[in-house]
Amino acid sequence: MPFSTIATPEAKPVANYKMATRMDGGRLLYISGQVAWDASGNIVGKGDVRAQARQVFENLRGVLRAAGGDLASLMKITTYITKLEDFPAVAQARSEVFQGELPASTLIVVKSLFHPDFLIEVEGVAAV
Amino acid sequence: MDRRDILAERPVESGRGFMPGVSINPARVLFTAGLTGRGPDGNLVSGGMGPQARRAFERLQAVLSKADARFDNAIKQLVYVTDIDAYNASGRAERNKFFGARPASTGLVVRRLADPAMLIEVELVVDLGGSPSGKPLLEKYNVESHGGDFYQGVIVNCGRLLYLAGQVANNPDGSVAGGGDWRRQAEKVYENLSHVLRAAGASPASAVKETTWVLSIDSWRRGGAPVRRDFYKGDFPASTLVEIPGLARPEFLVEIEVLAAIA
Repeated sequence: MPFSTIATPEAKPVANYKMATRMDGGRLLYISGQVAWDASGNIVGKGDVRAQARQVFENLRGVLRAAGGDLASLMKITTYITKLEDFPAVAQARSEVFQGELPASTLIVVKSLFHPDFLIEVEGVAAV
Repeated sequence: MDRRDILAERPVESGRGFMPGVSINPARVLFTAGLTGRGPDGNLVSGGMGPQARRAFERLQAVLSKADARFDNAIKQLVYVTDIDAYNASGRAERNKFFGARPASTGLVVRRLADPAMLIEVELVVDLGGSPSGKPLLEKYNVESHGGDFYQGVIVNCGRLLYLAGQVANNPDGSVAGGGDWRRQAEKVYENLSHVLRAAGASPASAVKETTWVLSIDSWRRGGAPVRRDFYKGDFPASTLVEIPGLARPEFLVEIEVLAAIA
């Protein structure tokens, strides 16, 4: 793994993510905010945040694989949702996808994403 | 330069001006502050989204030029807008005049930016390439005297990048510090940040880029900004301040994420 994890006893994560990651080598990969588009450009799971979250993580994995990495290569993700009530469903979808700990993470509720049908967007930075 | 565009080539990405992913060999990387449509006098330019977007990209161009870079060296853009319809109508076209190559991209609609009349703010991550030898780990600079507590560009010369999770005002037992008290939450967030930075062998001066997500910019300026000034003691990172409607828990008033670098 071209990065390592930083942990502290004082500042603890509020969920299952890492507090910080340090890049130790490899290439730096910036991934666009992924939304629930399928390969034809259709929105998957209109009105269904769990279905959208699954598609988003699938898309994220696709970009990582194309760059020679996988989900374990992620140092940091930022999850943007449009409604705080959607967070439990998103957290569950994330736990299904990430076996073990998530990377360092930020969760933000925004006013909206770039299309009114998008309920979740996730961007990432990886070392590959 | 050793840039690789990571293509998915779905119809949604082609023609939209961005790449799903971009990877580089991180020899020298520039992180910009979020820049907006402020004119040379510091006031927001008139005319709405189109002129504000043009001005934001002109200012970014000046930051890039100072580092001998161009928009085509950008590997990531983050565009914050307060009005998506206005961006689609007259902001996107301005953006497209500046870019040839496609960076990775995230676009967000937020509640408010630094000034209530601000419609757009853009930040970039830029591959500078070249050799870092003989250069300091961090080069922080401004291209305008803006009077704000941040640098417009920070270059990392071959350091090890440190990505911190967004820090909130949580105690080690999981409870939230500060209730509705902005100052107390800011103190706790920066206390948590210093713990994490110290654990990584870094300090506040190691911060490269900071994004401050708040539920109220006005309350943050009164209660949080003084705490932030004490924390950085003049050695500020490039930064972005954004007002959003919510964070992971209803009690959180502010979340701050920091990217730092160590030798």
